This record gives sequence, structure tokens and C-alpha cells, in this order.
Amino acid sequence: MSTFPANASGTVDGTLLLAAGRGFLSPTGVEITFVLVGLVTLGAAIMAVTSKQLVHAALWLVLALGGVAVEYLLLTAEFIAWVQVLIYVGSVVVLLLFGLMLTRAPIGPSPDADSGNRWIALAVALATAATLVTVVVDAFVSANSAWITLDTPQGDTATIGESLFRHWVLPFEALSVLLLAALVGAIVLSRRRSTASGAAPRTSTRPVAPPGPGARPRAGARTVAGGGPADAQPVADAQPGPGEQADAGGQSEQSPVNESEPESGRGKKEER
Amino acid sequence: MEFFDVAWRLLVVMLAFLVLPLLVGQAEHKVMAHMQGRVGPMHAGGFHGWAQLVADGVKFAQKEDIVPAAADRRVFQLAPAVALVPYLIVLIAIPVAPNGVVGQVVDAGIFFVLAVLGVGVLGQVMGGWASANKYSLLGGMRTAAQLMAYELPLLLAAASVVMASGTLSLPGILDVWQWWWLPWQLVGAFVFFVAGVAELHRPPFDAPLAPEEIIFGPLTEYGGLRFAFFMLSEYAGIVVISALTSVLFLGGWHGPFADQLGWLWMLLKTAALCFLVIWMRVAWPRLRADQIQRFAWTCLVPLALAQIALTGVVKVVFL
Amino acid sequence: MGLPGSGLAKGLAITLRTMTRRSVTAHYPDVQPELPARSRGVIGLFEENCTVCMLCARECPDWCIYIDSHKETVPATTSGGRDRSRNVLDRFAIDFSLCMYCGICIEVCPFDALFWSPEFEYAETDIHELTHEREKLREWMWTVPEPPPLDPAAEEPKEVGSARKAADKLAVQLAEQLEQEQLEQEHGEAAEAADPGTPGAGTPGPAADSGAAEPPTTDRPEKPERPDRSEPSDRSDRPGPPEDRRQGREGEA
Repeated sequence: MSTFPANASGTVDGTLLLAAGRGFLSPTGVEITFVLVGLVTLGAAIMAVTSKQLVHAALWLVLALGGVAVEYLLLTAEFIAWVQVLIYVGSVVVLLLFGLMLTRAPIGPSPDADSGNRWIALAVALATAATLVTVVVDAFVSANSAWITLDTPQGDTATIGESLFRHWVLPFEALSVLLLAALVGAIVLSRRRSTASGAAPRTSTRPVAPPGPGARPRAGARTVAGGGPADAQPVADAQPGPGEQADAGGQSEQSPVNESEPESGRGKKEER
Repeated sequence: MEFFDVAWRLLVVMLAFLVLPLLVGQAEHKVMAHMQGRVGPMHAGGFHGWAQLVADGVKFAQKEDIVPAAADRRVFQLAPAVALVPYLIVLIAIPVAPNGVVGQVVDAGIFFVLAVLGVGVLGQVMGGWASANKYSLLGGMRTAAQLMAYELPLLLAAASVVMASGTLSLPGILDVWQWWWLPWQLVGAFVFFVAGVAELHRPPFDAPLAPEEIIFGPLTEYGGLRFAFFMLSEYAGIVVISALTSVLFLGGWHGPFADQLGWLWMLLKTAALCFLVIWMRVAWPRLRADQIQRFAWTCLVPLALAQIALTGVVKVVFL
Repeated sequence: MGLPGSGLAKGLAITLRTMTRRSVTAHYPDVQPELPARSRGVIGLFEENCTVCMLCARECPDWCIYIDSHKETVPATTSGGRDRSRNVLDRFAIDFSLCMYCGICIEVCPFDALFWSPEFEYAETDIHELTHEREKLREWMWTVPEPPPLDPAAEEPKEVGSARKAADKLAVQLAEQLEQEQLEQEHGEAAEAADPGTPGAGTPGPAADSGAAEPPTTDRPEKPERPDRSEPSDRSDRPGPPEDRRQGREGEA
């Protein structure tokens, strides 16, 4: 109950803090907040990884991502913070939850939510963290690197826009092309699957569709004993008469299994 | 002094958050009734049932707080708060009148608003999953699908205004707003408003709730105060979306005597849009879930892209 | 259908138009409904007319009418006459929790003792109190409205028709008699046969005086006598027809 409102109020505080120009929160206050939010984020991230309940893991992930957004805010990177909330919390996690609900999202723990290569994963995570920490330390602390100076605000929208579209246009465009390629790939994949799945039943049912109206009366006439036309209809759909096969010409891929099944079904019906 | 200023602004925002949704709800009661040839609530409070929603609130508060046995207790109980709080936060950034009459100037205001709005839908998804109910799960899935479909046109339409104004700040957008932006951004306004209504799951986009079909979807198992919170979030959402649309596309506080009456113009425009939301609910049937998806992807997204192209061309060529 | 979206626009237009019009809601508890005179609200008992014939109780499809009575002997009015017996009503109750408001009891009552009243606000919290006893049923009689006037082109009531037929017959007879008398006078014969010894003379209608002067069709009796009023001799001590009493009561109110 208390987790999200805490997060939300943290967001508010961050906003206020920014706009108030570091008024009523002293720099040490910012640091304290930063550490606290960081702890919350870390805890949420660990919970997200270790939770045995899939949806809970996703919700912990929300908290972790939100915490990261607050950290961005505290670092005066407002634009990135809101993009983080918008993309990750608002869309990615919702997509995740949607996928979970579509496939399986049992209430309670899933026994198979554990991975055998968790130690490998831990190692990878630690390596990534180490790399990131090194880079950040290098960027902020090292005396020789002047990448980022904390004196001038670097994170507001104008600055980011300027650097993105003035100094880093080419990487930006390359990224967008990459995304476009991914998009096209996804569309191609989904289309191919749909045509493949559409084609499979079509071959098996092809003798059904083309005979159309001609098949029904004849088949119905043969199955009068089995019941009314309502009964005869499915039989007619499933099993074209011998004349139909001749009409259908080259569509002889209809398997004998297909043919025999309705035949036996009709036999049962006539027995009744 | 600064602290009191901030506290005062937050208090006003809180008041607006508590009062405006109730006003919209009452307006919906009465407008919907009269559009259907009825009179609506007439007794609570004496004069034309003005206190109906207060009475409803009292009733909700008296009800037992029920959590289904099979539900995921924590998530179930947390969901209404997640649904409600973002709208409160969003209200902070909406400018009401010129010269900084706004809860808080946020530099990337439009991003802030849209980002936090998306979080609110998460509450409904959570409630839908945690209820351990088929209808709720269906509703939650529809909610999630609808959010993903309509977030894109919403953002694109907002981006069009941002391109036109050259700023992400909501007061900043209003400062440079001109009357001829109205026709210029007309398509964007349409897309934004419709997508916003769809994100709120208001009719005709209420397939995730669909009382006649899946029995209020994510809210099926909710009762008492938690249900009231969900309802409040819906009406707060109407206020927020209407206010945002009027800020981004209708010029917010712009109007005759804007210096004195800016807040009135803003309120009027917001109220008109709220009326439109109610009106659509009364007049139009519900879209199916697949129709909702198709409308978003094949209609709103292309329209939004076309608006962005138009904005870009006008911006580059004429300005 | 025409333009795409025209249906949506039409929906908006219709709802907006409805909003500007007056709503049709009946504000019932605040404003009483205007019920037609023949509304079936509750059944009133005009117990002075009841002869305990039990027809209503027997015809009732729901068996919701309860009647108890006993017999009393009325001594002979004239010496040497026979004692008469009559039924005295002890209990008359209608259980409105069973009643389905079909009105058959009112239709079958030969003596006009049951009437529809449009009163409908008699809901109770205890179902037993929906069994209205004799006194309560009698109270409902005060709320029975005047029967509405006939429609302008309506068929005339049976009673009026039969009464007028009798009056017409009488008028024709009188006219014939007058003619005969005149003929006899003209022939100079003696006029001692002026006394009309005809069978209709016992009940001279109001039309009988002017029968010859006006065309017979316009001669309507002012008040048609109802055949069922004059029958039983043991009811001679009962008060008059309900219409009269009701009018009197309305005057009081």
C-alpha cells in the first residue's frame, strides 16, 4: 500500500525541488533523497528478479523503473526522467503485463519462475554494473575528463535536444533506422506466420469451399435418412460427393484420411 | 515564504482535484438524464439533487471493504490508489491563467503529463489481474491493449503542438499560442481528444469496462471506497484530458480580457470539452475491442502523422 | 446512410434536441398522477347495497374475497302476513395481496355494491394489513369518482334505450287515444270513454304529458329507472342508489 504513494510523492518532491531552484531542500537533502530512492530502487529491482510471482515481478519492475526516473529527476535530467516514465512504466511494463495476462499470469507463485542459470545472470549483471559505474565515475569524477560539468544543467529539454540533433544526429538517425528495421522485421514475421497458418487449413479445406451450393442438395439427399437438412449440412461441408472431386480437378491433395472420416461419421448417423 | 507558496498551490490543486471531478460527475448525471428525457437525481440535497455524489460518497464509505478470497490481496488493494494518484499529480502542471497561475511550472510539462497519465492505466491493469476473475482479466487485457494502441496517437498529436510552439512547457505553449493555431492543429486536436477519451475508457471506447458485457471489467470485484476511487479517477481523467486538450489546442486561458478572465476561459473550455465527453457517452454505441484497435492504428495514427507533417511544413515554410 | 459519420452526427443531434425539451418524468411523490376515472386502484364496498349473494366471492379467480353473514327474520308488516328473512353482512374483506385487479367481482355484482376507486397508495409493511376489512372497504367508497360522461358519439346506455323505448310506446299509445277521442268527438258520439284504461297508465312517464306535441324521439326520460332497483321488497328500507349518496357526500366535502 505504501510503496507507490511514496514513489509518487517522491516524484512531486523532485519536481518541486527542481522548480524551486533548490530552495527548501539543501544539497545534502537532495543527496539523502537520492540515496533513499536509490535504496528503494535497488530493493525493488532485487524483488523483481527474485519474486516467484510473475505479475509481482512486473510490478516491482514498475517501482524500480519509477525509482530510476526519480533519480534522473534528482540529477536534474528532467526530460530523461519523464521519458523513462512514459516509455518504461507507461508502455513497456504494460506491454509486459499484457503479454503475461495473454499467456499465463496465475495468482500465487509459479514454480517454474526460477532459472537454472541464475548465477550466470548474476555474473552478467555484476559485470554490467561494474562497467556502468566505471563509466559514470569516469564521466563525473575524473579530473581529466570534462564530459559533464555539474555546474551547468545538462538534463533539461533544450540541452538534450541541442546535443541530440546538433552533435549526435548521425547516431540518432542510425538508431531510428535500426528501430525501423526491427519494425519491418516484426511485420514481416507476423505476416509470414499468418499466411503460413492461413495456408495450412486452406489446403485441407479447399475441396469444401469451391463446390459451394452445388454440393449441398446432393449430399443432403444422400443423408436424408440421417435427419433433416440441418443435420445434412455439416456432412455436405465436410465431404464432397465423388462428382465434386472430379469438378475440383487438380485439387487432389485431399487426403484419404479426410475422406474417410466424414464417411464413417455419416455411417454412424445412418445407423441411428 | 516560498514554502507557503508551494503549499498554497498544492492545496488549491488538491481542492480542484476533489471538486472538479464531482462537478463533472454531477453534470453527467443531469446531462445524461435530460438527453434521455429524464430528470436525473432530484432529491439528495434538496435542489435538483445537487448533493447526489456526496450522498454516493457517504454510501460508498459505509460499505464493507471486500477482497475476493482468491484475489492477490496486496495488488488488489493497491490498484485504486495507482489509478487515482497520477491524475492528482497531473493537475499540478496544468496552467489555469496567464502569468504563472499554475500548480507548478514543469519544464517538460507535456512529457510529464503524458507520462504520468500512462501510469494511471496501470492501476486498472493491476486491478484486472488481481481480482482473480475472468471478466476482470478480460477487462484488464483490453485496458492494456487499448493503452498501447492510443498512447501513440496521443503522443504524436501532442508532439505536433510541441513542434509548433517550440517548447515542452505547458505555460510556454500557451504563451506563444495564436488563434490561427486552432485550424492549423485541428486534426491534432481531434486525434488528441479522441485518444485521450479512449485512454480513459469512456464510451464509445469503453470496451474494457463494458458493463453489459464483462461487468465493468477490472472493477467487477471492487466495492465501497475502492470502487469510488476508480470512479473518481475516471472523472478526474475527464477533467485532465479536457483541460489538456484546451491547453494544447484551444488556447487555454486565451480569450477576451485574458488578463483578468483567463481562468474563466480556461474553465469554460474545459467544461465544454467535458460536456462533449458526456455527450458522446449518451449518443454513441460502444465500439468492439477490435474496432477500437483498428480505429487507433488505421485512423488516428495516420491522421496524427499527417498533422505532424502539416505542422512541420507550415513551421518551416511560413514561420 | 450517406456520408460516413452522418449517423454519429444524427445521434448527437437527437440527444441534444431531447436535452432542450422538457423531460417526461412523472414526479410522483411530489406531484400526484392524474389518473383516469376508471383506473383500477382499489375496490370500494358500498355495503348498503350488498345482499350477500356471494357472486363476487365465487367469481373471484384468486379467492381473495371473504364474506360472512347470518340470516335475520323480519316480522310481517301486516297482520296475517308472512315473516320475511334477509341476509345481514357480518364480514366482507378483500385480500389485496392476492387480488389481481381483474375487476370481475365488480362486473358480476348485481346490486352495484362494488366500485373501482383510483386510490393506489395503500402499501403496507405487513402483508396481513393488505386484507382490507369491511370498514376500510367502506371508507374507499368516498374516493370513488363520478362516472365520466359518455363520449359524444357513443352508443347510448342500455338502460336509457329500454326506458326510452317504453316511453315511445306510451307516447304512441297516448297519441292514438287522443286521435280516437277526437274522432269520436267529431262523430258526435258521447265522450264518456275518455278514461284511458290502458296498461301503461300505471307509470306515467314525464314524456306522457307532452307526447303529442313533440316528436317522440326527443322524449328522453330524465332519469331512467334501473330495473334492479325496484325488485326485492326486503330492500325497501335500504337507502337510495349510490349516485345520490355520493353526490351528497361531495357536497359535504
